[in-house]
Amino acid sequence: MNPGQQIPRNALVWIILCLFTLVAPHAGRLPVWVLAVYLFAAAWRTMVYQGRWSFPGRLVKAGLTIASCVGIYLSYGSLIGLEPTIALLLTAFALKLIELHQRKDAYVLLFLGYFICITEFLFSQDLPMVAYALVNVILVTTALVALHRPGEHQFNRKTVRLASILVLQSLPLMLVLFFLFPRIGPLWTVPIKSHTARTGVSDFMRPGDISRLGKSDEVAFRVQFEGAIPPPSALYWRGLVFSRQEEGAWRSLRYYDIPPAERRQAPVATPGEPLSYRVIMEPTQQNWLYSLRYARSESPGVMSSADFLLFSPGVLEDERMYQVHSWPEAVLDPTLTDWRREMELRLPPGENPQALALARQLRAAAIDDAQLVDAVLAMFTEQSFGYTLEPPLLPMDNQVDAFLFDSRRGFCEHFASAFVTLMRAAGVPARVVAGYQGGEINPLNRTVIVHQFDAHAWAEVWLEGEGWVRVDPTAAVSPQRIEWGLEQAMQAEGTFLSDSPLSPLRYRGINWLNTLRLRYDDLTWRWQSWVVGFDRERQFQLLNTVFDGISARKFMLVLLASGLLVLGPVAFSLLWRARRRDTSEADRCYLLFCERLARAGVVREAGEPPGRFAARAAAQLREAGDEICRITGLYEQLAYAGDTSPQRQQAALLALRRAVRRFRSNPRTA
Amino acid sequence: MQLQGLIDAAVAEVGSVLLGKEAQIRLALCCLFSRGHLLIEDLPGMGKTTLSHALADVLGLSWKRVQFTSDLLPADILGVSIYNRSDASFSFHPGPIFTQLLLADEINRTTPRTQSALLEAMAERQVTVEGETRPLPDPFFVIATQNPVHQSGTYPLPESQLDRFLMRLELGYPHPRAERQMFERGHNSGAERVVLARRISDEQLRQIRSRAATVHASDNLLDYLQRLVAYTRSSAEFAVGLSPRGALALLDCARTWAVMHNREHLVPEDLQMVLPAVAAHRLVPAGDYAGDGMALVELLRREVDVIRP
Repeated sequence: MNPGQQIPRNALVWIILCLFTLVAPHAGRLPVWVLAVYLFAAAWRTMVYQGRWSFPGRLVKAGLTIASCVGIYLSYGSLIGLEPTIALLLTAFALKLIELHQRKDAYVLLFLGYFICITEFLFSQDLPMVAYALVNVILVTTALVALHRPGEHQFNRKTVRLASILVLQSLPLMLVLFFLFPRIGPLWTVPIKSHTARTGVSDFMRPGDISRLGKSDEVAFRVQFEGAIPPPSALYWRGLVFSRQEEGAWRSLRYYDIPPAERRQAPVATPGEPLSYRVIMEPTQQNWLYSLRYARSESPGVMSSADFLLFSPGVLEDERMYQVHSWPEAVLDPTLTDWRREMELRLPPGENPQALALARQLRAAAIDDAQLVDAVLAMFTEQSFGYTLEPPLLPMDNQVDAFLFDSRRGFCEHFASAFVTLMRAAGVPARVVAGYQGGEINPLNRTVIVHQFDAHAWAEVWLEGEGWVRVDPTAAVSPQRIEWGLEQAMQAEGTFLSDSPLSPLRYRGINWLNTLRLRYDDLTWRWQSWVVGFDRERQFQLLNTVFDGISARKFMLVLLASGLLVLGPVAFSLLWRARRRDTSEADRCYLLFCERLARAGVVREAGEPPGRFAARAAAQLREAGDEICRITGLYEQLAYAGDTSPQRQQAALLALRRAVRRFRSNPRTA
Repeated sequence: MQLQGLIDAAVAEVGSVLLGKEAQIRLALCCLFSRGHLLIEDLPGMGKTTLSHALADVLGLSWKRVQFTSDLLPADILGVSIYNRSDASFSFHPGPIFTQLLLADEINRTTPRTQSALLEAMAERQVTVEGETRPLPDPFFVIATQNPVHQSGTYPLPESQLDRFLMRLELGYPHPRAERQMFERGHNSGAERVVLARRISDEQLRQIRSRAATVHASDNLLDYLQRLVAYTRSSAEFAVGLSPRGALALLDCARTWAVMHNREHLVPEDLQMVLPAVAAHRLVPAGDYAGDGMALVELLRREVDVIRP
């Protein structure tokens, strides 16, 4: 092997290191055997380096390739789809290590490394992941640099520094591309990730579902208001409306169960100034979006349902940002259609006889629907109902009866469900609403952080003349929950985040820790709203405001100008450096002559002196031989013989120029 | 021009006993004309002695040979002062070094002490024994031979000492045709040595040397030389690059080479022709580099273009 082509030891160390840092973020998703392949490949390559083993033969390589494909197929049940494809790519990446013979193989491997670095973002776009990807890019670049610096100590600081400088130098270009490169719609779509758990409120509600969410400290979404933030007790983030009960769970109406006439939202009067806010949701793998009532959004890809909710046509696989206007005072559904009334009064037949009896009893005592609501709420307050994160298990049948007359301890979903059952039994249209309530205000950037433990369920009843009115039975049992949040409500019980002792939210009392947490959250907000949320619309908006109206032509100009702005100085400095080398007139003429000869099929080799080249060229192009020798002679006289006067130099230069120019007129004479 | 014919005749004369080695003969002459010393590194029986003898003949130089052994002492080369009882004084008995062409055979078999005595004399062109400095004759030319160092029982010359030789040559096996010719002529080691005709007089030698000093080196050429040298110092394949002395040696030899080819200015070919002989033994490859000095010279010739890119 040409010694200039071998892979130096220091580069090999970096390459193997890169391999492992690149696979690390995927480790949790990959089958264990893929990780074993990494160790195996690294061990093999090290043994090859030490000269104890040899590179694998053709048959072994083919065998390994087939075995990995079969392995992936067995592990995932398919070779198509995001995760199997990435697993295949990563396995191939590891196996490439054992055929790393020469420098060019290392190039292939490392350039693939950059690509693998990007695949991490298919799964997470968090800030820590970005920082990690940056480290990876620097590592891969370091390996590339080390490839060109043989004979160094393997962990030379200078190599790392040079790589870091290279990566830093690419940042301006990265920014230009980020802000200006047209966001083209996907040319192909990646199939949905099969193994990602759906998080947050789900599309049905059984007793215990929301109290389970109450134990999670993950962030559900963040909101930034334009103007003052409403008090926490007004922040009811509606996500889903449950109107039907089936198999012991509350569920939404299926789209195809709704008659076509009912599918459109009834017109709503919107008096006064709306609340305006921006929401960034974490990925949920679901398709509903959270908003305050009554919400309208002009953001693209956000739709409104007949229940006055917002939803997205596709599931949220990534962070999603949308802008909302809300009118909390708006009257929803001032009149109820017959179909709707029937749906909102329906109860599973034959269940909860005791509750039905109680409802009839209350109905008889109440003058109107509003008083009936008050009576039920008063019942929750006065009788000894307990609000707890750890409600006792309820039997499958007659759950409301069991709760109202037996256990009497429950979380918001128990109260909401019981309340709606009583209301419906008493002939008042009612439904369960699921979503989040409240949120933590980050004083650093005035955002509201809504965690999973803020998940909540409440009720809406339809009152004549007032439309749908929000009633929160939990507020009757535990007013602290609504005013101060779950942590305060559970103080006596001590169950707040009791399953996650390391959650920073448990230590809000420690001031510096809390500040640190809020700062990090602020950073996440900025990252999400500026980088992750920077889609085609934001790009268009930004360009529109910066350049005062944008057209395709203007955009092209901006793109070209900024490219020039970034690449211009680089090009200029390169050209300037090249100019400073001041190739003389004679050299330029001669190089032109060499180009012409190259076109005729005789290429001057690297380091070949003019005289020897002329002899070779003359032998090859016999007819032009004399002319080649004459031109070379002229050049040699100019470049090397210094004994001529300036006049003679000038004459020789003229003759050379003329001869070279004439030489072009008859290429391929030979 | 008669000088060209002169040199061609000298080369042909030497070539008549050392068949098929014209390039090496020319380089050896070039080294001699440049006032340098020559190191020949090759296996025994490749014609080292024949070459040195033939060179001495065509230049009309006095010739001596020292066979270096492990017990050779500096005095054995430089000479000793011996007390002369008849006139009650010390008289100096010059050693074999007092000659015009010295063949120092198998220089790496002797101890470093003796090696350095020779090398010092080579550099100074004078010998100091017992406080008295005696100049060596002019021209003074040493042809040292060295076994390939992997043979046992040798003291290989360190890089610093190698630098004192202007050129290092390898003779190599003869071309099959030349070897066949040799067989047909029936040369053998026991036969009487053929004495060659003198082809270059002292005056002509002086003329060649003075003309070499006036050979013009253009800016372009010095630039090329400088880029060559800079490459050896900056590129990762080289552990040790060319020293300024090495660069000067390169230029001197190239100048002589130009004179030998009847040119009054240097062209890049001159540098490239003498580059392997002058530079290879001064370059040390980096630890990771698999090639030797010759591979480095080849790399250098390929990587540094004659014309500034």
